Amino acid sequence: MTFTRSAAALGMAVALAGTAAGIAGCGSSTSPASGPAAPAKLVVWRMGASVPSQVTWMNGVVAQWHKKFPQYKSTKVVVDWIPWGNRTTDWTNALTSGKGGPDITELGNTDTPGVAAEGALANITSDVKAWSNGSDIIPGNLANDTISGQNYAVPWFGGVRGIWYNKDQFAKAGISSAPTTWAELVSDAKALMKAYPGTYGLGAPSDYTNAIVSFIWGAGGQVAVQQGGKWVAQLNSPQSEAGLKFYADLLLTEHVSPAKYIGETELGTPGATSGGSDEDFAKGTLDMYIDGPWAESSLEAVSKANEAQWASFPIPSENGPNPAPAFAGGSDLGVWAKSANKTAAWDLVSVMDSPANATTFANSQGFFPEFTSQLSNPGYASSPLLSGFAKAAGYTQISPLNSKNWGTADATDEIIPDMMKSLMQGANFAATVNKANTELQNVLNTGSET
Amino acid sequence: MAGISGQAHAVLPAGLPDGLPGGGKAGRAFRAGAFIRRHKLAPYLLLTPALVGIALVLLWPLVQVVIFSFQNYGIPQITGVAPTQWVGLANFTSTFKDSEFWLSLRNTVMLAIVVVPATLVAGTIVGLLLNRLGKKMAAFVSTAALMAWATPPISAAVLFYWLVNPDGGVVDWTLSKLPHWLVGSNNWAQYNWTTTGAFQAYVVIAVLVVWQAFPFIAVSVLAGLKTIPTELLEAARVDGASPWRVFWKITYPMLKPIFLVLLLLSVIWDFNIFGQSYIITGFPGNQNEYNLSLYLYDKAFASLPPSYGLGGAIALIFALILLVITVGYVRSSVRQGALA
Repeated sequence: MTFTRSAAALGMAVALAGTAAGIAGCGSSTSPASGPAAPAKLVVWRMGASVPSQVTWMNGVVAQWHKKFPQYKSTKVVVDWIPWGNRTTDWTNALTSGKGGPDITELGNTDTPGVAAEGALANITSDVKAWSNGSDIIPGNLANDTISGQNYAVPWFGGVRGIWYNKDQFAKAGISSAPTTWAELVSDAKALMKAYPGTYGLGAPSDYTNAIVSFIWGAGGQVAVQQGGKWVAQLNSPQSEAGLKFYADLLLTEHVSPAKYIGETELGTPGATSGGSDEDFAKGTLDMYIDGPWAESSLEAVSKANEAQWASFPIPSENGPNPAPAFAGGSDLGVWAKSANKTAAWDLVSVMDSPANATTFANSQGFFPEFTSQLSNPGYASSPLLSGFAKAAGYTQISPLNSKNWGTADATDEIIPDMMKSLMQGANFAATVNKANTELQNVLNTGSET
Repeated sequence: MAGISGQAHAVLPAGLPDGLPGGGKAGRAFRAGAFIRRHKLAPYLLLTPALVGIALVLLWPLVQVVIFSFQNYGIPQITGVAPTQWVGLANFTSTFKDSEFWLSLRNTVMLAIVVVPATLVAGTIVGLLLNRLGKKMAAFVSTAALMAWATPPISAAVLFYWLVNPDGGVVDWTLSKLPHWLVGSNNWAQYNWTTTGAFQAYVVIAVLVVWQAFPFIAVSVLAGLKTIPTELLEAARVDGASPWRVFWKITYPMLKPIFLVLLLLSVIWDFNIFGQSYIITGFPGNQNEYNLSLYLYDKAFASLPPSYGLGGAIALIFALILLVITVGYVRSSVRQGALA
């Protein structure tokens, strides 16, 4: 008995070792990066949660890819879904271990410069130059993926945040047109709270840099500017301070945002994907909610009760009439530097990001395509939900959120979220903003707060 | 290992590749055996495989951490786009200059100051009670308590996260239903315990940690109590000593070595809390709620870009703090004779 069991265990061990050797053999046999040999599979890392419509879209893309490149017809495409909060750790693990990495990865457009500088992304300059659709990409967005003239990723879709509201709530509160100044925004928020007792007017989570910057820009301020090749932080300019004070006062003096959003992102506790202002808006306990059109599917997952009433308007600037500049967010596609199948990976990227496919994808998920030729689509202006966002898309800014050290400033050091949290907890305004400003300037220039 | 005794060679097939005559080999093996016996080396030889294993999985990484802490080691150095450089004490100085390091150190120390005594007191009281309970009741109480201890920290943290959730958590609901004069304020509905500030978050974490840690203390104290001769306690009672006096004059002195070990373990455990604070504070995002473990993890792994050099330096500082506390306490205790 003992003998048989240990013999079986030995057999298992041998079999396992054999499998491992087999895998290793496989990996090394496909090694030359530019070889024409078709890989057995390609791994694509997508960010966020798997949604059925995205799976259907990806299946269609793979079918097109197999048709357009018959040499890959037996190559399997595996999509791994990475929660946004885990992306840094997962990239890091794949890089340091050299194993388990993707062939293609989606990247938030603010991540790309930092990740490329780490050597994680393959240089795809020649592929992009040879790509017939390359010249149609919005030039500013491609520049974001370019370091010293070399391309490390291509823009895939873009998106801007605006303010979600319910049409019927606006009507009941007697609001005839969307607010275009901060004063109107606050008075509308209060009118909504009066018409709907027990609700809050406008959610202002403290851990929400990508929305807070719109209030800085909306007052004419800047987060940081480049002067003589160095970053100069401007969080404590009078304009920027006006924007920061307005945002903090949504809680502190206007009381249109609940205290429970202190320390939260728009999606709730950091690291969570629901349970915050998103859920409250979908449930109807928050009247106005700042986010992009991509939030629709997750809002629907909470409740579809008010879906027919959902609409949007751009984040107002301090004195109107034009909206505040919105942060030009979005995602890029990059080829992993350690991929053994870079050619096949780029070929798949070129199909995923073809103007037709990128546009279908963007439209189905509430994003905007990155191709100049597609942006003039009249469909965007006529949809009540998208019209506000489409308007906001006309007023965008990305700097300094695309600078090399922005990831450190925002994702690691949380400079703006920490500052806003302290302000909302009642810390001394000038001292808190000045401290954040010094830290931000140091990080943007040196990568370190001190 | 075959060299320990000449016998081991007997089972080996003849004609080994070294081609030495069998007699010479046996002779050498015998001499080696004599050498080992004379110098009493056998125990060390038997320990060698375990030591090699520990060295590989523990000592070598430790050495690497020390090396990294003096380098700019990070992702660009691993992928080879930038060279690894010695940076002297830069990782240490930048850590000491970082206000978030001091904040996380403060959070860590404050938590330990509250949680360690609370755990020890609660555990000791429960241990004393268990000692006086009947067999069945004692089994029931200790099983119930040990279930809290056996709950994985992550599960327990998620449980507490739900309990204090501002949307439908039972704690906020209860507080908001209680009369206001009793709970001090009527703002408990939707009160966000976990992200509002470090104090609120660590109140939750402290309760969670004490709840999970006291059963171990209770059972250890109980085990200690069973070793105290009952005559001593009876004699004290006959002499009219109060329970309070019995505890401080008999129980405590006799259990002092156990208390010392429990105290040291508690300090080390409560300094190292990671999973619970990760879940409760919603890592990453609320830096003012970091403790040292979260701060270290953030700098070493979760940052963009991650810096193993900085992480190594923080880990060394962290280890040094614990070492100072431990060594200091053990030394003073040994002088007092507690461990004698």
